[in-house]
Amino acid sequence: MGNILIGLEIHCQLTSLKSKLFCFCHEDYRSFKPNSNICPICCGFPGTLPLLNQKAVEHAAMISNALGSKIPEKIMFYRKNYFYPDLPKNFQITQYNSYGLTSIGSAGSVCISDSKTIRIRRVQLEEDPGRLSYDSGNIHNSNHTLIDYNRSGVALVEIVTEPDFTEPKEVRYFLNKLSSILEHLGVCDTALEGAVRCDANVSLKGGERIEIKNVNSFREVEKALTYEISRQTSLSTRNIRINSETRHWDEQRKITRIARTKEEEQDYRYFPEPDIPLVMLGKDFYTHIEKLVPELPDERLSRFKSKYTLSDHVANILINSKKLADFFESCLKIYYSPVEIANWLVNDLLALIGGEETVILDKLKIEPKHMAELAKLVDEKKISRSNAKQIFTEVFRTGQTPSELLSSTDYSQINDENLIANAVDLVFSSEKSAVEDAKVNSGAINFLVGKVMKMTKGRADPKIVTQLINVKLAQLGNS
Amino acid sequence: MVSKDELRHLGWISRINLSEEEIETFHHQLGDTIKYIDVLETFDSENLTLDYLEVEFSNLREDKTIEFTRDLIPKSSLAQEGYVKGPKMI
Amino acid sequence: MSNLYDLGALEAHRGINQGDFTAEEYVWSIIERIERVEGKVHAFITLNKENALNDAREIDKKIRTKEDAGSLAGVTVGIKDNISTHGLKTTCASKMLENYVPPYDATVVERLKNHGAIVIGKLNLDEFGMGSTTEYSRYGPTHNPWNLDYVPGGSSGGSGAAVSSRECAISLGSDTGGSVRCPASFCSVVGLKPTYGSVSRFGLISYANSLEQIGPICRTVEDVVTVMNAISGHDPNDNTCFLLRSNVPYLHIKKDTAPSSIAIVKELIDGCDPAVSRTIYSALDKFKEFGWESTEISLKSVNYALPSYYTIAMAEASSNLARYDNIRYGFSLPVEGFEWNTYISNVRSNFGEEVKRRILIGSYVLSSGYYSKYYLKARQLRSLLRQELLSNFGKYDLLVGPTMPVLPFRIGEKIDDPLKMYLMDVDTVLANLAGIPAISIPAGHSNGLPIGLQLMAGPFQEQKLIDAASLLENAIDIARSPEI
Repeated sequence: MGNILIGLEIHCQLTSLKSKLFCFCHEDYRSFKPNSNICPICCGFPGTLPLLNQKAVEHAAMISNALGSKIPEKIMFYRKNYFYPDLPKNFQITQYNSYGLTSIGSAGSVCISDSKTIRIRRVQLEEDPGRLSYDSGNIHNSNHTLIDYNRSGVALVEIVTEPDFTEPKEVRYFLNKLSSILEHLGVCDTALEGAVRCDANVSLKGGERIEIKNVNSFREVEKALTYEISRQTSLSTRNIRINSETRHWDEQRKITRIARTKEEEQDYRYFPEPDIPLVMLGKDFYTHIEKLVPELPDERLSRFKSKYTLSDHVANILINSKKLADFFESCLKIYYSPVEIANWLVNDLLALIGGEETVILDKLKIEPKHMAELAKLVDEKKISRSNAKQIFTEVFRTGQTPSELLSSTDYSQINDENLIANAVDLVFSSEKSAVEDAKVNSGAINFLVGKVMKMTKGRADPKIVTQLINVKLAQLGNS
Repeated sequence: MVSKDELRHLGWISRINLSEEEIETFHHQLGDTIKYIDVLETFDSENLTLDYLEVEFSNLREDKTIEFTRDLIPKSSLAQEGYVKGPKMI
Repeated sequence: MSNLYDLGALEAHRGINQGDFTAEEYVWSIIERIERVEGKVHAFITLNKENALNDAREIDKKIRTKEDAGSLAGVTVGIKDNISTHGLKTTCASKMLENYVPPYDATVVERLKNHGAIVIGKLNLDEFGMGSTTEYSRYGPTHNPWNLDYVPGGSSGGSGAAVSSRECAISLGSDTGGSVRCPASFCSVVGLKPTYGSVSRFGLISYANSLEQIGPICRTVEDVVTVMNAISGHDPNDNTCFLLRSNVPYLHIKKDTAPSSIAIVKELIDGCDPAVSRTIYSALDKFKEFGWESTEISLKSVNYALPSYYTIAMAEASSNLARYDNIRYGFSLPVEGFEWNTYISNVRSNFGEEVKRRILIGSYVLSSGYYSKYYLKARQLRSLLRQELLSNFGKYDLLVGPTMPVLPFRIGEKIDDPLKMYLMDVDTVLANLAGIPAISIPAGHSNGLPIGLQLMAGPFQEQKLIDAASLLENAIDIARSPEI
């Protein structure tokens, strides 16, 4: 897959704001009935004027800062003029770089591996349009377009990268990292439906640029790109010309399709928004923003590796989800056993949750105190590792504490050699042929260990069991 | 000058249907006006600056919510479930 | 004074406050006046009689119970129909807003109401404020009270004519390139275009946002002062009205005014109608009699003011008016059976022809190939013009010239030549481009047609305009209101 160039345009809503970008309606529009989170401003009523939300500028600047972008001392808003039913004013207030003025961020960069950096072209603050649906359920045979303006005017940050990606995998790394950055900044809850959207452009060497729109979650982007690259590759091997076009990602069928309406080359007739003066951020703004930006994934990663002696792999998995990393550090506050706890989270917890769904971490029944307690029990050898795994699964399922589970079912480890010796004796008398095998074949010892463990419901310390079996076998051999 | 085709294109990007009669009159009238504003070209713009109205960051609107409680969109513009009714797309 | 409708704002207010007559009696008098002359003048688009009478009764109740009824209590005000009034149709004289009832009050309307003023109706204008004669109204032209065959000026023609014909005490207009001052001049009344950013635009239906301000039209300078004190000052609903943290300076009428220095702008006098220039020069002699110094100066920027103005105004208009797609508000045309683009292109062909021309040119000058040739250049020249004007205000207190280069003319006389109409705005657009205040004050009549004198001052120097206008008002007695 050589000679592929991919660039991204990512939109993320500033979900932690209270109000929209230019009016007092709720930024979180999701719980409202259609058209019940609207006002004259966000519906473009005559005579209304946009009132720029200070916090939105701040949050956009935090994103710029986290993406290593330059933040100018003054910013300007522009009108992007085009007619579309989701746009109540038939123009969008956005930003634009021209004549010495830039948007809230420009010329940034993000490392996605030791050897790969993605350049950020610009970061800009703009308003989200409303949402369209169709009375028959699809665009083709509907008599009406149904418009809901609840989302109209929601603050949106657009991040545009240079076409620096050469394979879809890199896009995944980048988007994972971006999600984590946004979570760390606390400005965008990427788990909310529609809070992050991604458009991509792909071109094969010598081919024209294809835009892929309508990708409504980061997870789908890699799939859409992989599909699109193989489609283009197969066209070019058959010498079929690739025309510049816009395609939409069909999430159900997992294919890209040429956009239904012809999206002609638009002339947006950008010009400075006359209702918003040039916003003077000032010389101290950058310092102000720096103070607001918390520890970011890169710094946190190196801290996890140095302070907690985690491997690069484990630390990366934790950092990729702020919630998981926070969960981890909350556990440590209760009981300090970083490597043990990190392994539990990365291996066992993620396996139970199912991979990428770590974002739902705060809805789980297992809490840091449970994890800490369990790690402590293991460290103190109060339970065996295999029992700990059983307990972990139970805690995950029920939310009971490990100690509750321990007292209701006896999981405590048996370290008493006499008790274990009794069990060994019983197994030796019931499994005579296996004992005979074991005398000559050390591999059969494991079978005997397993029997003893089963008899003790897994509570016997396996080391002591093995030791006692060996002793007993030796005695039998000598006699 | 604007050609009649250019005028039709301007009508399209402005989403205004123009009748043939309007094309005929506007073609002349817009031509006159554009010729008049062409005088802008004769002024040297080198060393010219742009000035803008300014607002301090500290004077921007505070992030708070106020719900708009009056009726906004007339019932006649609404379809089922509170959606605003627009023409079909295709 | 024999009729209550003859009273100016302050006189009416005093009478009501002192119990000489009730607000209700006064409003009835205004309504009767409207019924008598409105058929000839046609200043209003919508009348608000019932509500006005109810409001008057409320004011009377307050007066009886000695509550503070406000500095404009009972005063009848007409509002240009591009300024939003909650619950009262606001059409912009356009088919596109024929049924539009705003869900909120413009800040200026709210402030006038808070001061006790009574909205008597909505006044005619050129559609969306685009014009200089009020002929481009969907509801037909307004007639000049001084000669009913003549135009009253525009775009706030209804605001000028209604005040001049005593159908209301005061009115609000909006001034994008002269739309308050032109009708004030043509109707022999006083009109002020305030400094950009001193009066909130919230609720003013935008034509060209960066140029326009709402301003009062009144029969006396004193009334202009009262209205300005009520409506101006910071508004959190308008990001461009932040310029003054608290309030614009409180305006007042001075008994004695120290002489100021005035400069006559040669370019503005040179090309104008001889009757106009004669009147202006004789008015200037009055200033000299009071010891004011006057100098003649030349302003280079006059040469590119108009093309810059029209480029910027039309560009902004093309974008501002894009929202009129008849979906959320507008006139009745069912969407059934139409495809999106067909529907909106259809409904938008209901704009009047002047509005269409300006939208088309606006789209043209913003198009990618033309942006720097027209729009950007116009913006640069606008900055240059502002610098030139501001540097002159370092030397002179006021710049002076005619408000309009021509006398009022017959309805229909220039309607087929849009460019000729545009050229009449040459004197007024300077103040809009520079964001400075300007006032038009009656200076005389020629063959029964009014002539206005324009004064311009530096930003937020409205008091200087008031001082000079007040002086001229006392020095020359010019009739404000004809018999109709």
